[in-house]
Amino acid sequence: MTFERRRRSIFELISEYMRAIEEEIEERLREFFVDHPSWNPRTCTLEPLCNVFITPDEVVITADLPYAEKDTIEVKPLNNNLFEIKAKLKRKICFEDLGITHQEGEFSTFYCQVRVPVAVEKEERKISFKNGILEVRLPRKKKHEIKIE
Amino acid sequence: MSLTNYVRVVERTSIPSSAVLLFGMPDVGLVGVIAASHMISELKLEEVAYIDTDLLPPMIVLHKGTPHMPLRIFGNKELLLAVSEVALPANAIHRIMRSLVEWGEQKNVNIVVSIGGIPTPNRQEINEPKVFAIASNPQLVQWLEGKIEWQGRKLDKPFEILREGYMVGPYALVLQYCMQRNIPAVGLLAQAFYNYPDPHAAAMVLKELSRVVAVEIDVSQLIEKGEEIRLKARDIMKRTERELSKMRKAQEYDIPLYV
Repeated sequence: MTFERRRRSIFELISEYMRAIEEEIEERLREFFVDHPSWNPRTCTLEPLCNVFITPDEVVITADLPYAEKDTIEVKPLNNNLFEIKAKLKRKICFEDLGITHQEGEFSTFYCQVRVPVAVEKEERKISFKNGILEVRLPRKKKHEIKIE
Repeated sequence: MSLTNYVRVVERTSIPSSAVLLFGMPDVGLVGVIAASHMISELKLEEVAYIDTDLLPPMIVLHKGTPHMPLRIFGNKELLLAVSEVALPANAIHRIMRSLVEWGEQKNVNIVVSIGGIPTPNRQEINEPKVFAIASNPQLVQWLEGKIEWQGRKLDKPFEILREGYMVGPYALVLQYCMQRNIPAVGLLAQAFYNYPDPHAAAMVLKELSRVVAVEIDVSQLIEKGEEIRLKARDIMKRTERELSKMRKAQEYDIPLYV
């Protein structure tokens, strides 16, 4: 039995490799950012909507936390650019409250992790909660300042 | 009819002529969808038509155990209200909105009113969102300003007009297609969060709507249920935001240059 092997050019191999990477990235993005449920009955958590704004001086993280109990809100840095947001709900929410009857489970906490893409002074964070919106202000690290002569 | 990329409005009951056609489409803060949903329950509007298209994802929406199309038209003798329960894909929006406006033209609608939001970066600091108005022709702008009569009516209080700037998304197209077809069209846009569901902005738009069309809507329930709506609307808001970013919605923040 003989096999005919066609030698593929380096360009074909690179192109195939790049396509595979692109597909993988697309799949992962879809999985993690869009196509995963916004709820987790195992941990009894709901994922809030979040936003990250970057200005020249600071990074502002906001999260929409309806039903959140103000005194239970926690914003914790997990490392230099990852923050964890947690808040207990004023009351437990079950699927039926959301109009869903074919799932089981109830939720007591909002939980999400937010990545900040620039260096920040994580210990100098200022936190406020108004009209159900959490706002975390983080000053940006100023490493290099170029003086104008 | 072509087998691909078709959009057709399927009427389930007879459609009144010379009605008001309202649009409550997914956009910033889901203001239009939240307002439309409240109108449907408050005014007990019935489904009068649905949109059959292969431009939307392959899905149906289940309500009380029966399937419904995600893009539907509700109404009564005077009102028609087009509302979508799914984020409209950016690449389908032209064809869908054009078909809806063309259908409205066939039904000889009296006026088209889009209800929605305008992204406002400091929305969190605003307790009473302002509602701005836009119109498809200069005569209607003057009417909204309270300067002239239109169809025998004059407004007691002028609207604040959105004078300069960019509009992006479904309502930009409604205005464009209505302008091209000489259909009178108005847009009422409340200051809203860009990507957080904003029931308060929806309530403000509905309050102002009664000044444009003869309809009174009690918004107390809408304000009362604000937290519940924000909780339920997270998923559609997330998907809408994704489509809005494909439409380059952030251009609405840009300062235009007129030459």
